[in-house]
Amino acid sequence: MIAIRTKGLEKEFITRRKKAGFTGSLRALVRPEKSSVHAVRGISFEMEQGELLGFIGPNGAGKSTTIKILTGILHPSKGDAEVLGYIPWKDRKKLAFNIGTVFGQRPQLWYHLPAIDTFQLFAKIYEQDDKEVKKRIAYLSEAFEITHLLETPVRKLSLGQRMRCEVAASLLHQPSLLLLDEPSIGLDVVAKQRIRDTIKRMSELEKVGVLLTSHDAGDIEALCKRVIIINHGQLIYQDRVSALKRNYLTTKEVGVRYAEAVPPDFNLDGVEVLKTGKYGVKLRFDTRKTPVDGVIARLASAGNLLDVTISDPSLEEVIRTIYEENETGEIR
Amino acid sequence: MHIKSELRFLSALWRANFLSLMEYRASFIMAVFGMMLNNAAYFIFWFIFFDRFEKVQGWGLSDMFVLFGSVASAFGLSVFLFGNVHFLADIIAGGRLDYYLSLPRPVLLHSLASRSSASGLGDFIYGFISFLLAGQFTVDAMGRFLLGMLLGAVVFVSFQVIAQSLAFWVGNASMIAAQASNAIVTFALYPLTLFDGTAKLILFTVIPAAFIGAVPAEFVRAFSLDRLILMVAGAITMLSLAVFMFYRGLRRYESGSAIQVQV
Amino acid sequence: MINALAYPADLFSRSFVMILFMWVFFQLWRVTYGSTGQESISGLTLKDTLWYLMIAETVILSKPRLGREISTQVKDGSVAYLLNKPYNFLLYQLSVSIGETLMRMVVNLVFGGAIVWLAVGPPPQMPAGLIVFPAILLAWLVDFCMVALIGLFAFVIEDVSAFEWIYSKLVLVLGGVLLPLDFFPDWLRTASLSLPFAYTTYAPARLFVEPTLEGAMALIGGQLAWLAILGLLLAFVFNRGMQHLVINGG
Repeated sequence: MIAIRTKGLEKEFITRRKKAGFTGSLRALVRPEKSSVHAVRGISFEMEQGELLGFIGPNGAGKSTTIKILTGILHPSKGDAEVLGYIPWKDRKKLAFNIGTVFGQRPQLWYHLPAIDTFQLFAKIYEQDDKEVKKRIAYLSEAFEITHLLETPVRKLSLGQRMRCEVAASLLHQPSLLLLDEPSIGLDVVAKQRIRDTIKRMSELEKVGVLLTSHDAGDIEALCKRVIIINHGQLIYQDRVSALKRNYLTTKEVGVRYAEAVPPDFNLDGVEVLKTGKYGVKLRFDTRKTPVDGVIARLASAGNLLDVTISDPSLEEVIRTIYEENETGEIR
Repeated sequence: MHIKSELRFLSALWRANFLSLMEYRASFIMAVFGMMLNNAAYFIFWFIFFDRFEKVQGWGLSDMFVLFGSVASAFGLSVFLFGNVHFLADIIAGGRLDYYLSLPRPVLLHSLASRSSASGLGDFIYGFISFLLAGQFTVDAMGRFLLGMLLGAVVFVSFQVIAQSLAFWVGNASMIAAQASNAIVTFALYPLTLFDGTAKLILFTVIPAAFIGAVPAEFVRAFSLDRLILMVAGAITMLSLAVFMFYRGLRRYESGSAIQVQV
Repeated sequence: MINALAYPADLFSRSFVMILFMWVFFQLWRVTYGSTGQESISGLTLKDTLWYLMIAETVILSKPRLGREISTQVKDGSVAYLLNKPYNFLLYQLSVSIGETLMRMVVNLVFGGAIVWLAVGPPPQMPAGLIVFPAILLAWLVDFCMVALIGLFAFVIEDVSAFEWIYSKLVLVLGGVLLPLDFFPDWLRTASLSLPFAYTTYAPARLFVEPTLEGAMALIGGQLAWLAILGLLLAFVFNRGMQHLVINGG
């Protein structure tokens, strides 16, 4: 079953420009100068029910705008969209009963109140039965490890704790689809990992589909099966995360350290030298052209090896490569 | 069922507001009593004024107290239950309607009722004190006062929603809306008989202050079907206009991306 | 000064309040004078009353808002860092705000004056009425002393905003902002004239519409007297408070 389907989605913002100062304000009032920003230009994609789909792109690429259209917050300028069988901007309320949303930069928990109070308010908003809600809150608080935080005013929680409460709140009414806009923004590494793990576990347990936007490739790598990359409001790449890795993770980086000094003109066939130190070298090579074992063997024979590290480039770098290809116009 | 569900939702929202206020109990009490004190200053003003002049065009001290009571309670009720009525323009311009749009409830009602102003409670209570000081102790008069005050609150909230909704079109409308609020309250606090033809017309249309102050006050003095119809018609008209204007504007809503918190 | 100029919208919205108030006051007093049938009430004509109210509103709407500033700095202890500066904390606060204050005064006078002029004609006693300017300055100083005293109260209690509130209401009523003291019952007028509040608003406004020598002697004299009393009290409280602060180590 299809959870989300969009076709040629476009959103254009008209902004009024105003010159500085009082006369500028006056002029803007009489004859406003308008300019338009094309935030989303023709995005078409589909998402299966229960799928974990990542939306990635740099700031201002149109990720949030797309999510806002899909939740019914914004009307698109052009194009069609269907979420769980509803047209978001027409059936906003019906849709809202079936999806959960978290906007990382727009907290939904009441700032001065303990999270439990917002949970109870949400229960009324979603017309839930009191008894059911109690059970549900207990269950979610356990899953998100927030039971001990429920009675603390939200303003006193750390960002990571708050975000766990936010995601728990969005699952309160058992939605079949979660739309998460930058859920890890501003979190430290540990808190990020924790929130990713919980989201993944919950989506498996409850068969909830997750559409997640982020500009952190780590989120996508840890959570999503499939990824869509957008830039300048356009879809530039979509595939499984594994395929993305297979197609783009074609290089390896190797760092070696020797017991004795390395000659400054250290060189190997088919291998690019990134850095040469007194006792170590950093190299990169394409595994399709130069096999790994050959390189290691040659490195070992070059001297008395102390240490070897082999690593893949991060997904971050892969995505940067894709953006760059997109800018120069050669899409693979 | 539908209405009932909305009412349950509203009362849950008001409960959350109240709990929020209670987090800062001292400020809450300060705001309530401070506002009552503030109103007492005007009480003294009119006391001295009428001590000196007795009646001005048929208006005496007790009429003034009823008028002041109607306006204070209507205004107080509005900002206590619908505290965002003064912040809607900022919410629109700052893209903070996202939150309300992502939840399955009426956006206007939800956003208005998501804040509560403590000083509003002070105004509300003070209004009743002022009404009682006027010395009309019958149940009938009380009933008329309540009805007039409620309809006045509807007009006030609607008027503000219209002014604040300008933010959908002009961006920053909070200043103009604040002045509109100032103007309607100031005009409502004086007897209608002070104003001549054109001014009177304005007070029933562009700045409908008459529906908040003078007309309800006259209605308390003596029942009149004409006035009742006038007040109900005024409230319905203003409310329809406000709802129309807000949802018209909502189509132009452009969200935004400023970081904020749900207070 | 520059700060105030940077927000023309703010200035204009202030002037809107002034226009609104003066117009409503005009309606109220036009009808009131009409209904009594008298040319002058307690020695004030309709024209006098409106020009009086215009000046009183200008003084109130333009005055420096320092209470919050002072009490905050006292509360968070930043007043201690000013101890080693070569100027007086209180005078510094006053001088910083004077530019904005004057700017607001000009705007309020222009807009309020324009409305009143249109309604009842030119100010009654010119150019003798110009004595209003020194009187306004003295009024602000008296007001500043009281506001600063309340602000310094923050040395003793946490939150002084309740006192600020009460003070502003006392000025509104006993200072004659809403109603000239001349319209008060005798006992209340006498009482008000012997309290400092009248010298923060009533004095300049009354002098403007009746700039006689006796009036100036009484009102400006009263202002000077209160300024001396409150100024001394303020200096005393300030020094005591600072000593307290030094002993307690901030």
